[in-house]
Amino acid sequence: MLTMKNICKVFQTSDVQTHALRDFNLNVNEGDFLSVTGPSGSGKTTFLNIAGLLETYTSGEFLLDGEDVGKLNDNGRSRFRNEKIGFIFQGFNLIADLNLFDNVDVPLRYRGFNAKERKRRIEENLERVGLASRMKHLPSQLSGGQQQRVAIARALATDPRFLLADEPTGNLDTDMAQGVMSLLEEINRQGTTIIMVTHDSELAQRSGRTIQVKDGRVSEAAAFNQKAIA
Amino acid sequence: MLESGLIIRALMRNKIGALLIALQIALTMTIMVNAIFMIQDRQQQMARESGINEEDTFYLTNTIFAQDYNIQVGLQTDLNAIRKTPGVVDAIQINAIPLSGGGWSSGLQTEPGEDKDGIGTAIYMVDDHAINALDLELIAGTNFSPSDIGWRLPAQSAWPAKVIITQALANSLFPDNGQSALGKTVYISNNQPMQVIGIIKNLQAPWNGWSGVERSALVPFQMESRSGRYFIRTEPGRRDELMPVIESMLANSDKGRIIRRLSTMEETREQSYRQHNATNKILMTVVSTLTLITAFGIVGLAIFSINRRTKQIGTRRALGATRWQVMRYFMVENFFISAVGITIGIIGTVSLNYWLVNKFNMTPLGFELIALGVVTLVIVGQLAVLYPARKAALISPATATRTV
Repeated sequence: MLTMKNICKVFQTSDVQTHALRDFNLNVNEGDFLSVTGPSGSGKTTFLNIAGLLETYTSGEFLLDGEDVGKLNDNGRSRFRNEKIGFIFQGFNLIADLNLFDNVDVPLRYRGFNAKERKRRIEENLERVGLASRMKHLPSQLSGGQQQRVAIARALATDPRFLLADEPTGNLDTDMAQGVMSLLEEINRQGTTIIMVTHDSELAQRSGRTIQVKDGRVSEAAAFNQKAIA
Repeated sequence: MLESGLIIRALMRNKIGALLIALQIALTMTIMVNAIFMIQDRQQQMARESGINEEDTFYLTNTIFAQDYNIQVGLQTDLNAIRKTPGVVDAIQINAIPLSGGGWSSGLQTEPGEDKDGIGTAIYMVDDHAINALDLELIAGTNFSPSDIGWRLPAQSAWPAKVIITQALANSLFPDNGQSALGKTVYISNNQPMQVIGIIKNLQAPWNGWSGVERSALVPFQMESRSGRYFIRTEPGRRDELMPVIESMLANSDKGRIIRRLSTMEETREQSYRQHNATNKILMTVVSTLTLITAFGIVGLAIFSINRRTKQIGTRRALGATRWQVMRYFMVENFFISAVGITIGIIGTVSLNYWLVNKFNMTPLGFELIALGVVTLVIVGQLAVLYPARKAALISPATATRTV
């Protein structure tokens, strides 16, 4: 489903070249729940940005859902993100001026669904994360955990092929983090592929598979967790 | 999908900035449309025809200082000499110049009596050459004959028996049928009768701002005055060549007077409407400046809004918005702000115009001018937001994952 071969990403300033990813190789299968760990500055976020088509890469080969995404232009990448990728951000990234209903509506409008279909998807996904009764609330009226649930509902509303989660529990306390993690596990069980970047080794252990990124390379690939093996 | 609902709901939660810009747009619209209305009103005034030939005419002042000067003989000698000059079509002595700002006026009435209201009329004292010299269009009746021309002496109060009036004056004197004025007797100085022997199409009064500027009368008088004006019409294209020729001829032919204040009718028109032109320029500057300030205000608000929402824009891009969709978001948002401003502006525009019309007796502005204001401000708004919107569209979707 996701195949990266020798992906390199070089950030070039006027006099400094920074290699964020070097010969990065990874294969993610449909239904995987992959955790990506590693120290700060190791290249985790760059990997996530490239995997989510938020950034382009310098060299290598990247197939996503069977498509060579390196050949897509900016509009093509936007469409691909909208149709096939769901994003969950560390800071939730909800739009403060919009209520929960409208926040979940945002990607659906880009997709071009009609009002009836959008309403159905919004209600269904807010129901799924347990916030259907609060759809007219503003994000500021919710706890961090609830906001992240809304972000998950927004990510799921377009029926993406996989979810990319960037430190999804990074801004949450332990209880809320557990709740969000349980929700992601449930989503994965229902068939959605998840790639999660996290600092939290305990949470990483709960995913089916963990890789560690160090100096822009996968240093410990395809390490299946005990839980997944069991 | 235009996201109109989302944009409106988001705007409703951040009203102050948007409302201030909307009010600025409203103020701009109010001032812009009414200023253009005033400019148009002045331009219409300036575009009115004086009724005389302005391209080939000029005038000068003949001031006599010699004692024992025979004014009547001197005047005839001068006019004969000027009329005989090759290239001159005709010449007259005249007491006032159209549009010059200085002249004579009197009330004309259809019935004698001090208790009757007179119609204010500009009086031009001229001889039988006036229609040709001024190049007026006689649309009914006849010109004066040489025997009609009398001398107007200093302190004289009697008026001649004949008069030629403009069509506008005929319509004012006889509202039911202006053409019926021909042959009728009108009264000047309350009870002195004058028979209307001719009607000319148009001859403006000396005062351009006067509501009765089209009401004029030609009276068959030559003035025995030590200071008089000669009005000269030349063949087309020969005015500038003949001005110094005639000045020098008159000055050299008689050393008992001086010739001064040569001026063309084109200069007179320019001077007459100089204030109008200046006011129009000032109004245009105000309108342009205000529009520019509003445009800068829109740019400023949009840039501020974009800087404040960089992460949000990155998130929208990450969620699948194309660059065009991001750009369109800000353009639609600006359109809504402009729409509110323009709606308030229309109310302000009509209210201010209503006050102007009542205060200064102007014609109310037309729908087309309001439509022009609406279209202009929508275009200005969209152009102003174009650069910030493009800037927003270039925000990377990777901004969404940045923590700072």
